[in-house]
Amino acid sequence: MEPALAWIVLGLPLLGAATLAAWPTEPPRSMTRVLGVGPIALGFLLSAWLYVQMLGESSDDRLVVSRVWEWIEIGDLTIDVALQIDPLSVMMMLIITGVGSLIFLYSTEYMEHDRDYRRFFAEMGFFVFSMLLLVLAANFLFLIVGWALVGLASYLLIGFYYEKPPAVAAAKKAFIINVIGDIAMVIGAFILIVELGTLDYALVFEAAPDGLSRGAVEAVTILLFVGAAAKSAQVPLHTWLPDAMEGPTPVSALIHAATMVTAGVYLVVRTHELYELAPFASDLVAITGAVTLFLAATIAMVQVDVKRVLAWSTVSQIGYMIMAAGLGAYGAAMFHLMTHAFFKALLFLSIGIVIHGLAGEQSLDRMGGLGRHLKLAYVATAIGVLAISGVPGTSGFFSKDEILASAWDAGDLGRALWVVGALAAGITAFYMFRLLLRTFYGPEPGGGYGVHPHRSRWPMTVPVAVLAVLSLFGGWIQVPSGWSWITDWLEPVIGPESIPGQQAEGVTLVASIAVVAIGAGVAWWIFAADPGRRSRLAGRFAATRRLLEDGYRFDPVYQQALVQPSRDLGDYLYGRFEPDFIQGMLKGAVSLVRGGAIALRAAQDGLVRTYAFVMVAGVVSLGALLAWVVTR
Amino acid sequence: MPMVTAIILLPLAAALALAIPGTSRPQARMTALLAAGLTLAMVISLTVRLDRDAAGLQFVDRHSWVSEAGLQWAVGVDGISIWLLLLTAGIFMLALIATAWRPPEREVGFLAAMLAGEASLLGLFAAADLVIFYVFWEAMLVPFFFLIAIWGGEGRGPATIKFIIYTMVGSVPMLVAILATAFVAQDITGQFTFDISELRGVSFSEAESTWLFAGFVLAFAIKLPIWPFHGWLPDAYRAAPLIVTAVLAAVMSKAGVYGLIRVGVPTFPDGAANFAIVLSVLALIGIVYGSLMAWRAPTMRMLVAYSSLAHLGFIVLGIMAFDIQAGQGAVLQMVNHGLVVAAAFVIVGLINRGTAGDHIDRIGGIASGAPRLAAVFLIVALAALAIPGSNSFVGEFFILTGVFRHHLWLAVLATIGILLAAVYMLRLYQTAMNGPAFGANARAIELRTLDYVVLSPLLAAMLAIALWPAGIVGSTRAPVAKAVAPAQVAAERPTDQIEAPVVPNPPPRALPLPGDEPEVAEVSP
Repeated sequence: MEPALAWIVLGLPLLGAATLAAWPTEPPRSMTRVLGVGPIALGFLLSAWLYVQMLGESSDDRLVVSRVWEWIEIGDLTIDVALQIDPLSVMMMLIITGVGSLIFLYSTEYMEHDRDYRRFFAEMGFFVFSMLLLVLAANFLFLIVGWALVGLASYLLIGFYYEKPPAVAAAKKAFIINVIGDIAMVIGAFILIVELGTLDYALVFEAAPDGLSRGAVEAVTILLFVGAAAKSAQVPLHTWLPDAMEGPTPVSALIHAATMVTAGVYLVVRTHELYELAPFASDLVAITGAVTLFLAATIAMVQVDVKRVLAWSTVSQIGYMIMAAGLGAYGAAMFHLMTHAFFKALLFLSIGIVIHGLAGEQSLDRMGGLGRHLKLAYVATAIGVLAISGVPGTSGFFSKDEILASAWDAGDLGRALWVVGALAAGITAFYMFRLLLRTFYGPEPGGGYGVHPHRSRWPMTVPVAVLAVLSLFGGWIQVPSGWSWITDWLEPVIGPESIPGQQAEGVTLVASIAVVAIGAGVAWWIFAADPGRRSRLAGRFAATRRLLEDGYRFDPVYQQALVQPSRDLGDYLYGRFEPDFIQGMLKGAVSLVRGGAIALRAAQDGLVRTYAFVMVAGVVSLGALLAWVVTR
Repeated sequence: MPMVTAIILLPLAAALALAIPGTSRPQARMTALLAAGLTLAMVISLTVRLDRDAAGLQFVDRHSWVSEAGLQWAVGVDGISIWLLLLTAGIFMLALIATAWRPPEREVGFLAAMLAGEASLLGLFAAADLVIFYVFWEAMLVPFFFLIAIWGGEGRGPATIKFIIYTMVGSVPMLVAILATAFVAQDITGQFTFDISELRGVSFSEAESTWLFAGFVLAFAIKLPIWPFHGWLPDAYRAAPLIVTAVLAAVMSKAGVYGLIRVGVPTFPDGAANFAIVLSVLALIGIVYGSLMAWRAPTMRMLVAYSSLAHLGFIVLGIMAFDIQAGQGAVLQMVNHGLVVAAAFVIVGLINRGTAGDHIDRIGGIASGAPRLAAVFLIVALAALAIPGSNSFVGEFFILTGVFRHHLWLAVLATIGILLAAVYMLRLYQTAMNGPAFGANARAIELRTLDYVVLSPLLAAMLAIALWPAGIVGSTRAPVAKAVAPAQVAAERPTDQIEAPVVPNPPPRALPLPGDEPEVAEVSP
């Protein structure tokens, strides 16, 4: 196996981004396209090659740490610039560069009309670099660096349309909430340094069972999970993700659906050795995931903005993965991470065709009947909806069922969470079919479409087609009671994992088919069977709808409980405390000195003289004292 | 001529040369740039030749003057001060280039005052003797007094009075403390000296140590400034010409923290240990207070000024933790803060070029007209908020690691400052750069050739530190370990954390030669 490959894959997107950024003028679009897509696509090929090489190694030789230079030696702590190349990071590399290549290709067409073509690809390339750094880092320090840099990339791309105040505000919110997560991770790292004296994954995991007390390991894992929750939009740090939809749609697909927001799942799986020592933290992770997946699913039922529906569904789906990771079903979590990357990228890109075709329209109220105009988008969205709902045979079916089946086998807590997950699966089917029906079925909105919905060219359609195929069939690599290629592949990292039992599989299969059928059926009943029914029902549940539309009102609570009081405190300090107290103290000191100087001298004023006086007085007294010493 | 002395005297000589009446402007410019350039070159040569593993002073230049009175000229550098010399020489070089390019009125005098300021700061950072330290500490005020009083903007009169007199309020006790230190030490060792390395290890009683430390610490606290002694800072930063403000914030603000780690903590370990919690809590208050003030500050200058208060709080925390990692982080952070705050003030200056006032809320959307400036500004803002991956992150991370080891809650509460830094820096950046464009002439703001000349070295240094912090940190381990070891003993830290030998009360003849490792028998702590 050639570790240099990983370095090249990591370096390529940075090189592309830096070249684009440093280009003195706006480069020709063809060049931007090559520099934008080229490094990612090449990175995917090289990752695939690395994967093939790794297949040839025995499973013990699949864990490689490649060091380049000593970054710092401070006190007795040494940190290297090093990459962790193992099945987990290679799997993440393949997802990031694979899905990334498709989305980059799509973007070349989607962003064609944008003034800042170059900036878009430079920032996207920077994102891919940061994300690869996050998954390849061999120690917690560079994990945190990658973690923060993807946050920065996310900030830049959410605020891509920086003239729009909502985009700017959304970017800021995402950044600040992610800083909260970063701080928690940093404090976790402090504990590791103080207790174990190292931040290298291998050394930490080796030393943790004996070196960390139960309290310390629970603290570290909870702090790491705060970071994971901020990045992966888990309750209560989830509020930034829906707002993040202000970014261009390919950004939402790549960063806020397929890759970055799943980093929290990666983190828990990567540090599973610690979570296995921390039962309380693991339960907390699982419960948080379950709460998140349920709340987000209910919120998604009433959203009107298409991208927000997808955003809340992302929050909900990541909740499944986090729940699985918390219950110790790491293979299932990573499996769902992968299939979700396929079908959620697909959904965003096909909905992106709709938005692109309608010149930026995102409201469900201004859509309907589009199936006639945008056939490809219609079919692709339908496939995505089937996959995310978990219709048997699609990718989401296999991965979500594995999560639920694992939960069924995971004790009392697992059973309880199974119920939540199964219920939310039905809700998922409901809101996704709602999205499908309200977009593509039914009558066109009053007044028709201002712009003729136009079809897209191959750079947009090919990625959608590829993702559609993956969303349909990507689940077949891990089939219950058949084969489990993902879990087997990850075994050198996550260890041997127990497969869900027959009973769990059976119960889950029946339950999930039932809830999906019910959810989809209710959606059909409300949104397609009788056009008037939706408005009749809407009136009846007005209060609930408002609560859900406001996302259970997390935002106003944060605003009133945290932001505004801090701002008021700042205003008080600036307007009152500083002028009265601090300046008062200073004036007292100054007048004391000047008063003393004036008393000693004839009443002459002037700063230079005061100063000279004190200087001279100091020197004279110094001289006198020294003279005393010398003559003593 | 010995190098360290030359480094101090060259800018001073140039300043005096410029003071000769009748010096023409081109001559003055040439002299100033040449002197600053040569000084920088000499400092770089020292940096390259420095023994990075040595704990003691190197390149020591010592000349007895009035030996009976213990007066001497003694300067030298170690792995800590070398970086402050480099920072000083580098920042002044850039400041003089910027001055020469866009000369102010009465340019010759301005250049002379700047050079005198550079010489006094270099002297302060190289001082190996308390009297020399004090002389440069006071001498520094003269050039900055003129720079603010003559070339300053609105409100310069009151600002100068506050700045100079408040600083003096601190210096007078320090003078007394310096003298008292020598006398008290004489009673203990029988030798009358102001030599800093000889005063180290003198076993003052706890009461003596505490009082002497207190005498020094007020001066450091005001100069730093530590909350609540920062009253002079906003006015001085507001009234001074922007180049001077940049120099004040980037270089002069390091004088106080440098005094702590060079004189206060190593010489008076018991006193330092007694004051550790008080100073740390004040520093913590400064972090939160400065951040909140920066958030609500109406102007860009005030925002950066108060952010400085917060950032210096981190450095104080690092030094007062008596921890090797924290101390090394604090030294690194002195350099980082110097680079970042200088760059931030340069950018404030650029924005002021195209706006009527300095008010943050009266401008917006500059990014669309000045994209290159926006990109550079973003980098600087991110470094200022210490995003992981930036140079400042390295410093803050290791400062807080060390603080966390000993005072868990101090470190945890200090992270509020990290969060607020993101809040106020993004407020500054987004309000000025994003949103609809108004209130600013973006074309006047966009980067020009000179701006690249000034900004690129700062950005390059930030990038270099981010990628390879070991370059600086590597040389600080031995000197920091030596500086904090006595205080670690005083604070009863576990012995495995103490790396340097602590030699209490050495007899005068057994004192180590300057620059040498102590060869006396080690007394285990």
